[in-house]
Amino acid sequence: MSTVIQESQQPISAKFLQFYKDRTLLAILLSLFAVMFVYGIFFTDNYLTITNFKAIIRDAALYGIMAIGLTFVTLSGNFFLLSLKETASICGVTFAMGMATGFGSPDLAGNFMVSLLAALAVGVVSGVIQGYFVGMGGNPIVVTLGGAGILYGIGAWWSDNLVINFTRPHDAEWLGTGSFLGLPSITWSFILIAIAAEIVLRHTNFGRKVYLVGANKAAGKATGHENFSMAIIVFTICSVCCAFVAVAFVAQMDSAQSNYFSAEFGSSGDMTILVIATVMVGGNSIMGGYGSTLRTSLGAIFIAMVDNMMVLQGFNSGPRIVGVGLMIVFSIIVFGLFAKGSRAQE
Amino acid sequence: MASNPILKISKVSRTFGAIQALKEANFEINEGEIMGLVGENGAGKSTLVKIISGFDPGFKGSYQINGQEVKFETPSQAEESGIAIAQQELSLIPNMSVAENIFLTGAKVKKFATLNTLAKMARPYLNEVGLTDVDPTTRINLLSVGEQHLVEVARLISREAKILILDEPTAALGEAESRRILEMVERLAANGKSIIYVSHRLDEIFKITKRITILRDGVSQGVQQTKDIDVNKLVEIMLGRELANMFPAKADHISNDPKIEIKDLWPDGVLEPVSFSAYKGEILGLSGQLGSGAGEILASIAGALKSRSGSLTLNGETFLPKSPSQAIKKKIAYCSSDRKKDGLFLGRPIFENLTSPALNAISNYGFNFGATEQNFSKNLAKEFLIDVRRMFDESGLLSGGNQQKVALGKWLSIKPDVLLVNEPTRGVDVGAKSEIYQRMRDLAARGITIIFASTDIQEITYLPDRVITFYRGMMIDEHRLENIQTPTILKEITDPFNETNL
Repeated sequence: MSTVIQESQQPISAKFLQFYKDRTLLAILLSLFAVMFVYGIFFTDNYLTITNFKAIIRDAALYGIMAIGLTFVTLSGNFFLLSLKETASICGVTFAMGMATGFGSPDLAGNFMVSLLAALAVGVVSGVIQGYFVGMGGNPIVVTLGGAGILYGIGAWWSDNLVINFTRPHDAEWLGTGSFLGLPSITWSFILIAIAAEIVLRHTNFGRKVYLVGANKAAGKATGHENFSMAIIVFTICSVCCAFVAVAFVAQMDSAQSNYFSAEFGSSGDMTILVIATVMVGGNSIMGGYGSTLRTSLGAIFIAMVDNMMVLQGFNSGPRIVGVGLMIVFSIIVFGLFAKGSRAQE
Repeated sequence: MASNPILKISKVSRTFGAIQALKEANFEINEGEIMGLVGENGAGKSTLVKIISGFDPGFKGSYQINGQEVKFETPSQAEESGIAIAQQELSLIPNMSVAENIFLTGAKVKKFATLNTLAKMARPYLNEVGLTDVDPTTRINLLSVGEQHLVEVARLISREAKILILDEPTAALGEAESRRILEMVERLAANGKSIIYVSHRLDEIFKITKRITILRDGVSQGVQQTKDIDVNKLVEIMLGRELANMFPAKADHISNDPKIEIKDLWPDGVLEPVSFSAYKGEILGLSGQLGSGAGEILASIAGALKSRSGSLTLNGETFLPKSPSQAIKKKIAYCSSDRKKDGLFLGRPIFENLTSPALNAISNYGFNFGATEQNFSKNLAKEFLIDVRRMFDESGLLSGGNQQKVALGKWLSIKPDVLLVNEPTRGVDVGAKSEIYQRMRDLAARGITIIFASTDIQEITYLPDRVITFYRGMMIDEHRLENIQTPTILKEITDPFNETNL
């Protein structure tokens, strides 16, 4: 009886909200873009320059790629991978080790492919292990927080907390600082990865399963889509994205240290917070089942714009991190308001 | 008998949108009386109980306590007037002690108290409900479910409840535990409490009540003196009219060709291994009250619930599915009783729900592109009478009946050999009910074997070709076609061992 009651009292506003949820969130984001843009043009020196926009899109690319990976985790209802920067850290160290020493065999030193594959392999292994424990029913926060400690620790231990340098010219320059048709390689990577991720989510069985499992784990299980394999795959995707960004970043810096991604990264310091902010600002449901990597990509550009603006206005990193934190809170509030309308019955 | 009822409800009605849950209900109870409240599913029992206990202030009609008109806006107001309800789902905190649970809220709560003080305070209440041997410092989750029910009642008594509503207190309990509950009810009544006893178990109703209020389709059918009435008469009043025309005609015969053989299946909730077969193209009903094990058997056939032993034989293969995905591969579809929990992806559009079990059918090499899926899901929707124009709506926006059609219809996507349905029409309006019955019959006619479990006695009488009855985890009997009779089945699922006359 009680089910019937709820439906018959279903407010019309819920339907309205469902229809306009997508557009309204997008509209909010786009109008904020516009406001910032106009503000930038009139009140900020050096804003309207090609160099500045390249800088924005380059920043956006770095955490955008990781955020796309994280979007798979969040959409599938597995919350977050909190070991983002630690995964990047150990992968970066691995890559630099390969470039500098060839992992002990001088023949391989400076070999880009070997170093890249080694870094990606580390990403795969850490993703599979963390995904396995989450899939077994472990709480994603606890598992990946534990994972964070272990990954960072191993990286620091292995590199003796030293900066690993490798000198130019090296084979990874094209990825680190190179550009193609006027855009940096990392930006092209971001564009390609964003397109690929969107296609995977929209047009493959795997993508559909991500949404279904994220929307309702129990129903997913009942229809033959278990979270066990899902967790392993999404955490692996996310970790590999971290590894790729780490490689690109290290290739740009010609060096790596285990704390690069907590201190030196981007312009706002802590990478984990930036990436989670990107996913949230894009308007992806924190509970899973709703959102897209396209939203995440927009979120990345938005955060990069805000951050850039604050840099040009002369804020140092403290207030900029406050800004990122505020954006997370704001986006959760906005999304929560909209989610209440259409998904209240869950 | 006292002529002044302590609680009196007259001409109460309640509508929810287009649905009239209560049309005209009258109810009264005297001090120290045990009043039975019976009616089939959907008759309005739970609505009435909610009104009495203050959960539902939106009704029309008169509600008097001790002759004074009252209006409760919240359950806590009702509690202040001495009305308390023990619901089927207990509201105890498992990790806290018995004493702490008893004094969790209410006037007697102290700001500071040691566990020993609370234990001393709890003792008399525990004695009153018959838990003399339970240490008040024991954690709740170490008690049996029956004992937990008693603790819940003790908690209500501690708050000076004068009128207690017990909603199906024995539904999930075994025989011995149920007896403790009944003893407690009688003891409380002897101490002057009034008890409204809601139950599907007619044997209990006859054992302990003095009077019975019967609800049918939201109308109370007068108060019956228990001693003047027998089970058959009670059932007749409960069901009233024939509802047979809502149901499609049964098959004219049952095929001899067993489609699926179930051997020694033994999930939790079932007392002994169960074996039976279902034939090609038949609708087999598993009948039993909550706790009878019928639903558990369905779930374990589908791999959704672990079975200690046993095997299935289907299409010449013998296996036991360990997970739903294994069962799906063998063309066994299972629609659970709780569509919101694991039947639907509420936040996702309808077409995604419909194709969710059969992603391979709508894709090539793992890629799916709009058109194939749209056509596929449109055909499914048409077949199950779901509005094709709403395919892109979130399924959570549908009415209960349409949600159930989606939850059930999605299983056609895997072209099942065996379709298992637990409670095919729970929380569904009458129109959608008859559509669902018709669809189930059509599917059976197409050769799909359908096994369903239901606690709805009409459904179990008129829909299936064959019925197997269950009582507290035991298989009781089997009936075929015209031998499926409501009184026989009711007797078998409520009181197969003549415990009423003990």
